[in-house]
Amino acid sequence: MYQLTDVTKLYAKGRHTVPAVRNLTLQIEDGQWLAVQGRTGHGKSTLLNLLGGLDRPTSGTIEFDGKNLGQLREDQVTRLRAKSIGFIFQTFNLVPTLSAAENVEAALIPLRVGAAERHRRVAAALDSVALGDRSRHLPGEMSGGQQQRVAIARALVKEPTVLLADEPTGNLDEDTRDEIIGLLEKLWRERGLTLVLVTHDSAIAQRAQRVGVMSKGQLSLRDDARQPADSMPD
Amino acid sequence: MFFITYLRRELRRRMRQAIFIGLGLALGIGLVVTVTAASAGVKKAQSDVLKSLYGVGTDVTVTGKAPRLALPGAAPAKGGGGQTFQIGPGGAQLCSNGKCHNAAGQTVDHLNSTSYGPISQAEVAAVARLKDVKAAAGGLALSDTSVTIPKNFGQRGGPVPTPNQFTVQGVDTSHLSLGPLSSGTVTSGRSLTSADANSNVAVLDSGYARSHKLKAGSTVKIVGHSFTVVGIVTQPQTGTPPQVYIPLARAQAIGRAAGNKRLKNEVNTIYVTARSAADIPTVQAEIKHLLPKDTVTTAASLASEVTGSLSSTAKLANVLGRWLSILVLIAAFAVASLLTMAAVARRVREFGTLKALGWRSSRIVAQVMGESLTVGILGGAAGVGLGFAGAAIITAVAPKLSATIASSAGQGFTAVAGGPGRVFSPTSTHSVAVPMSASVTAAAIVAAVVLAVVGGLLAGSFGSWRIARLRPADALARVA
Repeated sequence: MYQLTDVTKLYAKGRHTVPAVRNLTLQIEDGQWLAVQGRTGHGKSTLLNLLGGLDRPTSGTIEFDGKNLGQLREDQVTRLRAKSIGFIFQTFNLVPTLSAAENVEAALIPLRVGAAERHRRVAAALDSVALGDRSRHLPGEMSGGQQQRVAIARALVKEPTVLLADEPTGNLDEDTRDEIIGLLEKLWRERGLTLVLVTHDSAIAQRAQRVGVMSKGQLSLRDDARQPADSMPD
Repeated sequence: MFFITYLRRELRRRMRQAIFIGLGLALGIGLVVTVTAASAGVKKAQSDVLKSLYGVGTDVTVTGKAPRLALPGAAPAKGGGGQTFQIGPGGAQLCSNGKCHNAAGQTVDHLNSTSYGPISQAEVAAVARLKDVKAAAGGLALSDTSVTIPKNFGQRGGPVPTPNQFTVQGVDTSHLSLGPLSSGTVTSGRSLTSADANSNVAVLDSGYARSHKLKAGSTVKIVGHSFTVVGIVTQPQTGTPPQVYIPLARAQAIGRAAGNKRLKNEVNTIYVTARSAADIPTVQAEIKHLLPKDTVTTAASLASEVTGSLSSTAKLANVLGRWLSILVLIAAFAVASLLTMAAVARRVREFGTLKALGWRSSRIVAQVMGESLTVGILGGAAGVGLGFAGAAIITAVAPKLSATIASSAGQGFTAVAGGPGRVFSPTSTHSVAVPMSASVTAAAIVAAVVLAVVGGLLAGSFGSWRIARLRPADALARVA
């Protein structure tokens, strides 16, 4: 799925250049769940942006299904993102004026799916996160957990192969956190998704197959990774 | 459709801001429409004024070179046999051919063309033959002036004679579509016809007929000749059109040029129609070449001679109104652009998220442009409404405008005394009162729509420029 080779990402901050990611080499297999931990400002979100094609590396290569993201044109990366990569954000990032269904529908707009098919897929996606009855509600009319479930439906409605989640439970209480992580785990398992999840929460990280810790732009992988079957319920 | 749903919801969310932007644009566009309407109204008023002077269908007017007014005490022209009026030690005297007699109690009546010199009918024919001329007709603009000399005139404390005057227009009955009569509407009786060429018949201006209680069938006296009134006409303006229209041949027979010369086969005005509007400058040049001493006037050149409040209003509408509109529009566009940019700045996270979802920048730009365009068009529609209201207010409250045109009709009367001479030149200028009527034209509405679209696009383009430059990672990092 992903092959990162000697990836470095530098940011200019005033007169100084700050390395957000340094000489990172990493392979992520299809259907793998990688949890990334680390302190704030150590490059977790930058790594996620690089994997999602939202940013380009300063040096090194990021291959996605054999394609070098750094060499693709902007429109090609955009198309790839529209089709294959789903995002979940800590702050949900729903469009406040659109209903739950319309927020989910927004993910299908770049794919030029017909209206009837869009509505069918949106309904199915909301059903899969148990929000079929809240489709007409605006984000402001829903709880944080419900909003994040809408965001998950939005990420999955296009049936991506990769799901990139940036602290998806960071703004949620403990019960809701468990509910959302349980949902993500279920969907990951059912759909064979490749899931990269950035989290501060070790309890959540422990549920992933592989856990990496970002520190000063470098990723250290731990060797206690589980196989997908390990997390299957009895 | 998702585009419309998103646009509608976003505008509803930013309702107050959208209304503010829309009202700003409406104000600017409304001002443009009002000023354009006022300008169109002023132009129409100018056109009506010129039409009343020119006659419908007249593109170029040629007038004979103005003769020099007789100086006080000067002898009448040789062979003219004209009368002079003198005040000497023996009292008021009327002199003709060197013989003088007491003028007290007598009436002096003249039908003269003193402001315009004569043009021969052969010259009218020559003008008609010019390549780019469609038709040409001669006319005689005359003034009938009569004065009854008081018995004790000239004595210390004696009364001053008051001239009684009306204007007479000799009309070429074979070219009735040209000249001042052509612009009149017959309200009673009939107009002149070609059969009237040598008849003592007259058509009266409605204002003159009303003030003198004349109607079709009445008789008017012109230098002692009786003319039967066959019709009454109303001119489009309430200014000073000719008051009596008679056949040209009759005007030539009874009228006199300066120095009391006869006007047989002579006119003092030629009314010309060009083959097309584009030919008018050529026709003007051709006539100037053919008749170098005479004055050749087009509607455009005559318009530049119009003075009075009509002219001032035209300048006000054209200069001040235009610049005021431009300034308000610039302000409205600037405010709309700044507010749109501010709105885009507040939606950076939203646009970053959409980019992360795979939306192309062009799609997001189209969304923002659509929102701006909608506000612009709604503002434009409100602006057209404001423009109509402004035009209605101007029409309702604006006073009548006056237009003054110097020496256009060419009548005068000269009185010469033994002492310092006095010149009566009552109609050396024409003053016309014109109602100010501002009307919104289709062109103004089209201009409003264009401005609304431009305003919307301009406001949207600043925001769109920012969106196009927005890197999704940066947009998301700002809120992370």
